[in-house]
Amino acid sequence: MAEMMSHLAVGFGVAFTFQNILLCFTGCLVGTLIGVLPGVGPTATIAMLLPITFGLDPTGALIMLAGIYYGAQYGGSTTAILVNIPGEATAVVTTLDGHQMAKQGRAGIALGTAALGSFFAGTVATMVIAALGAPLTRLALLFGPAEYFSLMVMGLCFAVVLARGSILKAFCMIALGLLLSTVGTDLETGQERLTFGIASLSDGIDVAVLGMGVFGFAEVLRNLETPEARDVVRAKIGRLLPNWSDIKQSINPVLRGTGIGAILGILPGNGAVLGPFASYTVEKKIADDPSRFGKGAIEGVAGPESANNAGAQTAFIPLLTLGIPPNAVMALMVGAMTIHGIIPGPQVMTKNPELFWGMIASMWIGNLMLLVINLPLVGLWVKLLQVPYRLMFPAILIFCCIGIYSVNNQPADVAFTALFGLFGYALIKLGFEPAPMLLGFVLGKLMEEKLRQALIISRGSFYTFIDYQNRPISLGLLIVAAIVLAIALLPAISKKRDEVFTE
Amino acid sequence: MSLNQIERAQGLRVRSTQDMWAGVFMIVFACVAVFMAWDLPMGSLRQIGAGMLPKSIATICGALGVILALSSLRYHGEALTPWSWRAVVHVLGGTVLFALAIRGFDLGPIHVPSLGLVIAGPLVVLFSGMAASDRSLKELVIFAAVMTFGCALLFKYGLGLPIPLAPWLLGI
Repeated sequence: MAEMMSHLAVGFGVAFTFQNILLCFTGCLVGTLIGVLPGVGPTATIAMLLPITFGLDPTGALIMLAGIYYGAQYGGSTTAILVNIPGEATAVVTTLDGHQMAKQGRAGIALGTAALGSFFAGTVATMVIAALGAPLTRLALLFGPAEYFSLMVMGLCFAVVLARGSILKAFCMIALGLLLSTVGTDLETGQERLTFGIASLSDGIDVAVLGMGVFGFAEVLRNLETPEARDVVRAKIGRLLPNWSDIKQSINPVLRGTGIGAILGILPGNGAVLGPFASYTVEKKIADDPSRFGKGAIEGVAGPESANNAGAQTAFIPLLTLGIPPNAVMALMVGAMTIHGIIPGPQVMTKNPELFWGMIASMWIGNLMLLVINLPLVGLWVKLLQVPYRLMFPAILIFCCIGIYSVNNQPADVAFTALFGLFGYALIKLGFEPAPMLLGFVLGKLMEEKLRQALIISRGSFYTFIDYQNRPISLGLLIVAAIVLAIALLPAISKKRDEVFTE
Repeated sequence: MSLNQIERAQGLRVRSTQDMWAGVFMIVFACVAVFMAWDLPMGSLRQIGAGMLPKSIATICGALGVILALSSLRYHGEALTPWSWRAVVHVLGGTVLFALAIRGFDLGPIHVPSLGLVIAGPLVVLFSGMAASDRSLKELVIFAAVMTFGCALLFKYGLGLPIPLAPWLLGI
């Protein structure tokens, strides 16, 4: 406890400089600004705003990116409540009751509750990260290549299970991501692989290029397909601060949501996405009158929003302590960190304590900022929501173009992004979900490295991964992975059998 | 005769064009990857060669694709919806125009100097903006000018990123 406090003190020392507070503020503001645009989720927002952090020092850049991330999350909730368009899977639940509240003229209260609940959840989640940071990092130092490999296998299994839609298609996406990760020069032998002789591919595919193409461009293409029907709430926003009875109603859902979200967020493989759903289900189950849900129940906003934010934040834990991104957003964070010369992993905390704890402290400041800047600016967000899509997407595109160009000052990168945009659009058309692919892509490189190391150490024997005497952790992780897959696959298979021939 | 038996009697046919093509997509990707990685050495498990992972992952991709394609013959699923080629051409075309214009290019006898953001910015906004069904040219032209100006201020001067503005005109 004392250790945690001293760590946090270091962190707040870093975060409370004028420059870093300003960066955190700017990050939250522009993150919300972009995140609030309908159809632009946190992943696309981060991909788009990555370049504006290039000129900063690593600590400042990460603080700003974290701010952008929270801003985008919160912006997504705003869109969900006011327009009924979820920016990303985690905001789907918020549309159910949040938009109903907005239609009843209680949009302000829904936004206020979401903000207050998120702030509370963010505070708790920051404490969780601070408390778990040091011990988990110590645990990570015990990990050898075999354990790392098994852990990533487990993460990918979770990602498959938690992906929306068909499990088979999620498997396809992971495999495709892994395949894309092998493009480029082989680390050990220096041979070029799958580069088609193109010089700019010899360093591999840039995660920013892939992410922006698949999430930014492909999303624009999909939105252009259907003429827009935006259901912006016409009713008044109304009072923002919930009154006493609202608070009484939402305090327990917030507490439960925070707990659920924080725990699920730590899971490798996008556990955070489960948080809001789990919280909503729980609230509906234990409510005195479940029929109120879906008709503007405040608990249906307070719980899931807290779970969402708690999970969004604890998702940093696997990234910061183990260096393993649990979802697509964190995969982009890895890209951002590498651009600034930081390899995420346990060594960050030991080698770069200012950066590590400064970032954690800034998470809390970021959450506070959201509360301070977003509630007064609600009117601005509503205005922004009324910008027609015919102007919005060219603006998004020019941002993306400049952004991608600035990563390496390479026009070829921009062209590649367009190509990946087409690729991402094809994936959407074919019913694939691109998020697991990005995760597979980022983990692929790490996995290959660890697999090679593990096999060199074991002299080419795969037994090393399930060696219960010497490597019980690796075996345990693989068993968990197998169980998770089995639980997800068995009902799917038996259900399919029943459904085979029914129209 | 129950519905199930009627269905069974109809035998195998494509019951989900989306899954069918998704499977084909995976198989094509796998084949290209295997073909490209053909000459790379596999190595041994002790010393994994450059070709082992690309080839084995590509094989997995292909196998998944085959399963997906076969399952589309048996299980009902969604149909493939038409592509909006107009959006693809305009959005991606606009992006490629940006890539070509920002620093210029040489293609055989054609030589285009670095045109900078002043040209590339409006190009991407105007060309892609035409994809919207409710576009208005006048509005788009004004918007392109405003966006380019704003982006130049923000990225070049606000953030100090080295983007050429108009080397042929202003020298920056």
